[in-house]
Amino acid sequence: MNQPARALSPVPSPANARTAMERIATQLDRAVQGKPSQLQLVVTSLVAGGHVLLEDVPGVGKTTLAEALAKACGLSFARVQFTADLMPADVLGAQVFHAQTATFQFRPGPLFRQLVLADELNRAPPRTQSALLEAMAQGQVSLDGATHALPAPFTVVATQNPVDFSGTYPLPDSQLDRFMVRMSLGHPTPEVEAGLLVTRDGTPPLDAVETVSEPEELASLRSFAAALRLDASVADYVVRLATATRSHGDLERGASTRAVLALGAAARAHALWDARDFATPGDVRAVLLPCWAHRIMLRSAVQGVSARDEAAHLLEEIARKVPAPR
Amino acid sequence: MRKGTRLRLVLRDLGSGSAFASMAVSGQLPLWSLVLYGVALVVALAGRRPFANRVKLTALLLLAVALTLGTNVLAGSLNLVVAACAFAGLISAQRLLSTPDAATDGQVHLSGLLMVAGGAALSGELVYGLFLIVFGVLASIALALGVVESAVPEGEPVPVRAVMGPLAMGVGFAVVGAVAFFILFPRLNWNMIGPGASPGLGVATAGFSNTVRLGGAGTIKDNPRIVLRATLTPDPEKETLDAYWVGRTYDVFDGMEWSNARATSNGSEFMTTLRPGQENLVHQHVELMPAYGARTLVALETPSRLGNAVANTQVGSRRTQIHELGGGEVRFRDSGISYSYEAYSLPPGASGDDVQDLPPEEQDSLLSLPEGLDVRVGQTAARVLNGERDPLAAARKLSAWLQREYSYTLELSGDVPDPVADFLFQRKQGHCEHFATALTLMLRTQGMRARLATGFFGGERVTGGYVVRAGDAHAWTHVLVPGRGFITVDATPPAHRASQSPRLLEQLINFYEVVESQWRDVVLDYNFRDQLTVVRSLTRSHEVPKKDAPPSRAPPPRAFGAALLAAAAAYTAWRLLTQFLSRERPLEATRFADAVEAQLASARITRVDGETLEALDARLARERHPLSPALTPVTRRYLEARFGGRPLQQGEATRLLTDLRRAVLTESQRVASEGTRPPQARAS
Repeated sequence: MNQPARALSPVPSPANARTAMERIATQLDRAVQGKPSQLQLVVTSLVAGGHVLLEDVPGVGKTTLAEALAKACGLSFARVQFTADLMPADVLGAQVFHAQTATFQFRPGPLFRQLVLADELNRAPPRTQSALLEAMAQGQVSLDGATHALPAPFTVVATQNPVDFSGTYPLPDSQLDRFMVRMSLGHPTPEVEAGLLVTRDGTPPLDAVETVSEPEELASLRSFAAALRLDASVADYVVRLATATRSHGDLERGASTRAVLALGAAARAHALWDARDFATPGDVRAVLLPCWAHRIMLRSAVQGVSARDEAAHLLEEIARKVPAPR
Repeated sequence: MRKGTRLRLVLRDLGSGSAFASMAVSGQLPLWSLVLYGVALVVALAGRRPFANRVKLTALLLLAVALTLGTNVLAGSLNLVVAACAFAGLISAQRLLSTPDAATDGQVHLSGLLMVAGGAALSGELVYGLFLIVFGVLASIALALGVVESAVPEGEPVPVRAVMGPLAMGVGFAVVGAVAFFILFPRLNWNMIGPGASPGLGVATAGFSNTVRLGGAGTIKDNPRIVLRATLTPDPEKETLDAYWVGRTYDVFDGMEWSNARATSNGSEFMTTLRPGQENLVHQHVELMPAYGARTLVALETPSRLGNAVANTQVGSRRTQIHELGGGEVRFRDSGISYSYEAYSLPPGASGDDVQDLPPEEQDSLLSLPEGLDVRVGQTAARVLNGERDPLAAARKLSAWLQREYSYTLELSGDVPDPVADFLFQRKQGHCEHFATALTLMLRTQGMRARLATGFFGGERVTGGYVVRAGDAHAWTHVLVPGRGFITVDATPPAHRASQSPRLLEQLINFYEVVESQWRDVVLDYNFRDQLTVVRSLTRSHEVPKKDAPPSRAPPPRAFGAALLAAAAAYTAWRLLTQFLSRERPLEATRFADAVEAQLASARITRVDGETLEALDARLARERHPLSPALTPVTRRYLEARFGGRPLQQGEATRLLTDLRRAVLTESQRVASEGTRPPQARAS
């Protein structure tokens, strides 16, 4: 942390929260250009306290985005490249024998960071995947009878390649449910790409990112977002959407209760972009697709990206049919 | 005049009209009061108030009418209750035509209350009940609209549409509550002070007088009202009974009318208790309906014993005495709304009486002829009989001749000096009394004893019993056959003996009778004793306990059934109530959003398939629509009010809408000055 963080005012307000979030998004934009809505979504998820799943082809800036996020927010960062021979201990840490004291001591693994990039998560065997995902859900690691708390705020940004499935262990749906949002960056627009060619003169893009926040500010943003007002009618709207997915003919399985809670949290965080201290049906609609498209299970046998597209399409249809509260 | 005011006045006037109608259905108000009130109501409904400038003059007129009515009442030519009701109607009419201010409204409603009270005193019938409800509903709504109207500042429109829903709901609840109150609370009987109208559809016509007079002008109206219901044992099980129900007989004819030689035969009063057991007789349980309008008992020919007489009066049913009058007529001692009794009749064939049983003067009267009877009557009879001396054969021959040669008509003959000669030799058409009289007299001219009988002919099957209608009233002939007694011979053509009403009308009347008897049982005569009976019938078992079984203390199954029903009803009511309370009400913020969208629609910005205002605002912002800067704060305020828990302040919605309207106007002017169409909002 080279620069002193611009501290939030002691009493956080929606306007202050928006300023902080825009600050972070501005820094991210320096690293990943031309993707304002995706960046906004990443920050929304971060403020809502959720984990992010980036699904995209290699080379569009997934890793850069995660690293930029860590740097902009002043979070401790670790990157774990998941491979087929990665063991849970490689991620979580292990008890190591200490010769002088003749005792076992816990040596924390790379997971004990505030922001962990789990690169190509689907390449690791299910055992390792589930070790990570359990840690994500619990916020702590249990090893040999001892519980080790993970640092707060703890966020995982996982990536996976949706196209190349050979030698992978696709994440089971139950695990997917633990990511608050799933998103893909996609290729930048031609103008942005051309601009990259012209301006990037060998310096890594992360150098341009400044640290504009700190873990304490993020924690206060999270608690502020979690306390935003969600009107009963809006909560009812979320539940009606979930009910509609559960009874939809083309869906094998609808939104879970965890999905309902995640949508509520994401909608609250999204409300801060408008400097509001309450969430609206519009907030719900804005985060509905990234929040739920990876959680609902289709009856048809399509897999991967096309399944996500299909699910997003169905969700759009459901959202059109379920009337929003007026 | 404001729109709401007009509606309120129309409702007020109609309410007053139905209050008046609730009195008018009794049929006792004088015709002039009906006409005056009707004219006043029509004028008032047309929106004209001609008395507005002549209050004092019309009040004086009213005073004069009051004086006239009072004099009439004192003179005894007008019933006090009727006079009071007519006057209440006139007051109401005068108020209807005066300036419609708050005081007048109150007086109109007050006079309406007076009129329904008068209606209760005059009739209290089913139709009255309907008009009472109509008055209650209309007057309540008019009153409530008046309250709303006074709360709205001058110059602003009355929100009639908005208040109508809750108002109707409230009135509905009030009506339901009134019905519940009616059922649950003991009450006094109605209709105790009025002059005792004959209830139902107009005046009853089946009266039995001491005489039967031929002649008169006009047409006999065929009345399909049901006057009598009877259950017969043994049950003949025929669709139409076609039997003679005799009420009384007449033996002396003076050329114009029939009467009896002795006014009363023995005049004794008796209260007979009939017991079952006379198997060879036809047993009848007869109910005389309110439309009957008389106190004479009728029974199938030939009545043998009458008894078990019960009169149903305003204050309940009770055993009553019957007494015999001249002509074998048996009457109830006490008057009631309806009656029931039992009768035994000899099976068709013969009466037990014989010539010897009759007192001599009565035997003589059966042969008496009016003075100055046209000689042609006797000549014609002799010619037709052609030497036939057996009374029964002669009577049948004569009646067959009458049926063949004369036609039936309901037109009365008018007052002629000799109705019999007129019927036989001039008009050659008449109704049953003409036929019966002619036959009786022709028999007497030939020395055969005969008398006139009146009553009913008919009986159609309805649910296990038989009903007789007022239009079934009939007259026929009894011919005395030595050794067999009086035998019935009917000279009227068979097709015209019973009621001639159209089938559909009879069915409608049947339906009305059923509804009316329900109204009578359930509403008018529903009293404290009935309430107790309902409760008792629910808790007491009707089964005879077995001698051997120990007496059970457990309540009978029907008590459990009733409890279950009550619980189900309570549960349903609770469910409906909670549903009603938890139903979605349009919020103020939502109405505000509707208003905003209406303004946007006027600027040709429409929502695309179910878009919310929030989404619409976001879309306009994306499209950089010129109205977006004006709309965004409005949308923001709506969202805060709707979802953020910060309701709109007093007048804030109006202010925001005014600002938005200004922006819309500015924008449309700008577009007009540029001469281009405004950018149509489209789905992005």
